[in-house]
Amino acid sequence: MKSLNIPTFLPRLKVLNREQALAIHQAALEILEKTGFKMEHPDAHQMLVDAGGKVTNDGRLTLPAYLVEEALKTTPKQIALYDQKGNKTMPLVDGNPFYGTGSDATFTLDLETGQRRRAVLKDVANFARLVDNLENISFAMSMANPDDVPVEDIYVYVFAEMIKNINKPIVFIADSGRDIAKIYEIACLVAGGEEEFQKKPFMLNYSEAISPLRFPQNVMEKLIFCARKKIPICLPSGSNAGGGAPITIAGAMALGIAENLVGLAVHQLTNKGAPFLFGPNVSTLDMKSTVVSYGCPEWSLSQAALADMRDEMYGLPTWAYAGASDAKVMDAQAGAEAMFSIITAMLSRSNLIHDVGFLEYGNTSSLEMVTMANELVAMSRFFTEGIPVNEGTLALDVIERVATGGPGSIFLTDDHTFDYFREAQFLPQLLDRSRYDSWKEAGAMDLYTVCNTEAKRILSEHQVEPKTDEVLNEVDRILKGR
Amino acid sequence: MGEYKALNGAVLKGDINTATAEMQKAIDADKNVQDIIDNGLIAAMDEVGERFSKGLLFVPQMLRAAKTMQECMKLIEPLLQKGDVTPKGKVLIGTVRGDLHDIGKNLVSMMMESAGFMITDLGVDVPPEKFVQKAQEVEPDIVAMSALLSTTMPAMPQTIEALGKAGLRAKVKVMIGGAPVTENYAHEIRADAYASDAGSAVSKAKKLLGIS
Repeated sequence: MKSLNIPTFLPRLKVLNREQALAIHQAALEILEKTGFKMEHPDAHQMLVDAGGKVTNDGRLTLPAYLVEEALKTTPKQIALYDQKGNKTMPLVDGNPFYGTGSDATFTLDLETGQRRRAVLKDVANFARLVDNLENISFAMSMANPDDVPVEDIYVYVFAEMIKNINKPIVFIADSGRDIAKIYEIACLVAGGEEEFQKKPFMLNYSEAISPLRFPQNVMEKLIFCARKKIPICLPSGSNAGGGAPITIAGAMALGIAENLVGLAVHQLTNKGAPFLFGPNVSTLDMKSTVVSYGCPEWSLSQAALADMRDEMYGLPTWAYAGASDAKVMDAQAGAEAMFSIITAMLSRSNLIHDVGFLEYGNTSSLEMVTMANELVAMSRFFTEGIPVNEGTLALDVIERVATGGPGSIFLTDDHTFDYFREAQFLPQLLDRSRYDSWKEAGAMDLYTVCNTEAKRILSEHQVEPKTDEVLNEVDRILKGR
Repeated sequence: MGEYKALNGAVLKGDINTATAEMQKAIDADKNVQDIIDNGLIAAMDEVGERFSKGLLFVPQMLRAAKTMQECMKLIEPLLQKGDVTPKGKVLIGTVRGDLHDIGKNLVSMMMESAGFMITDLGVDVPPEKFVQKAQEVEPDIVAMSALLSTTMPAMPQTIEALGKAGLRAKVKVMIGGAPVTENYAHEIRADAYASDAGSAVSKAKKLLGIS
């Protein structure tokens, strides 16, 4: 057999054809040209008018398509996120997927009691430390809306808490131009100065416009701040199907993309070439409970569609979600929904994938869910890496050796098995494949219990490389109000 | 209820054309106005509420039924004398200062309205003084506040305080809701009730006013 050099096909999910992608993009442009939007930030309003936007009779703004297309052209096609030690750990480009936690859950499942309780600052620390340790969870969000910090500076407190408990990249929330400046001050301290931060940014801001088509002052303050400081930002809106947007996914996507494009236009007019992570959140509003679902197939479908649109036209890295559930406890529903979104996000080649570890439609966080998701991401990655086909993996010599080797000759004892099993197999760490008797002897644990035990172990053993005292003191000074 | 079977069924299905036609028939037949409303429309809406709470109807079906009832009411309104129909209660509702989110608040408004409450909706970003001013004007039984952002939640106790200063606190019940809001928070700021969604907002409101 002659030497094989076959590239490995990487399984890729495609849910839109080119015509569909173009039609959704055209619809988004039409929304901006005809319906227009409410821009409540005076400077951003003026900026758009100066660039060619038109003010309608009722004070809305409309944008010509060329203005939006221009912004798409000047936006960088890749965003490199660094860890807090300066290593490029998250190159958001092409189909590189990175998973991380979510923000602002009101409740958490207590690790000791298993009960749902109001989240506190200590929970932010615990989630950050857990993520710092987990191999397949690449970045952290706060996971909590803590009850025990001053609410006017809540986002500064959670950011500082994350700085103290993780060295991976952070996706952060802010309220307005006021607290984002404080957060930026802390980030520059950690990076060793503004110039160093901008060279190797380790954080990305998540802000939201309001669907349909409303851009509040405080949200635009943050967008403009990030553009000026080159802090990567994403600006999804709540264009959830049936809630902020039409019940049909195509319309909800068109609206969400239109809203993203408004943000992008302001962003690029403020500072051409500043990094912007593209993508609306398009989940669906449940028609019985009216919750925005975190376990539905619609959200996975819409972000798969967005990844197709990225590849067909935008070329910008995308914002996505996975590993969350509407279940109230970490049960079979939670596992099923988490896996559904994790594997489809990876097969869609979404780039920055948040909300890992949420239960109860994003209202409750769970350390066990994050721990489980770490394994599910590994499992999905194994699948999406495809099947390498070459002499070594076809193993014709091995087949011949074993088949002709006489009695007692089995693959298990062949050197080929020893050499290849680590790469040829997915080796689970938490998912149980033990025989019944040994499972029973080890305590007959279900996956929730296994993940609970593992999360406790990590939190008791894992040491996060600390920031210097100098940085920590300065952070405290900023928290205490200068 | 048998007398209005076709009307009941049309409201239940959200079939506006059939419902308004049946409504007109009842009016033309000189039926008692209060009887048409009670047994033709409200009876159907009660059934809608019942089916919704059992998970047999979806939100859009319920809202369509409410819209159907409203279209029917339009036919009868010119015939009504003042005081013919008494609302279950008056509700003043709004999203608090600093917060521009209104999907949840709007849903609460619609569901309360279809349950027979009279709603005054102040919209979004409503400062405490505006709640007070409007409360003095419409004399509501309930003041209902919504917030989606944790950073705007403090506007809730501020509004309650403002109601107190204006001498209105004892005259109204205060209800709160929204994603970051909890039952405990309601206790903390001395609101009278917390509702986790639009459906429970209706039943909590009824409970506060002691009606079924």
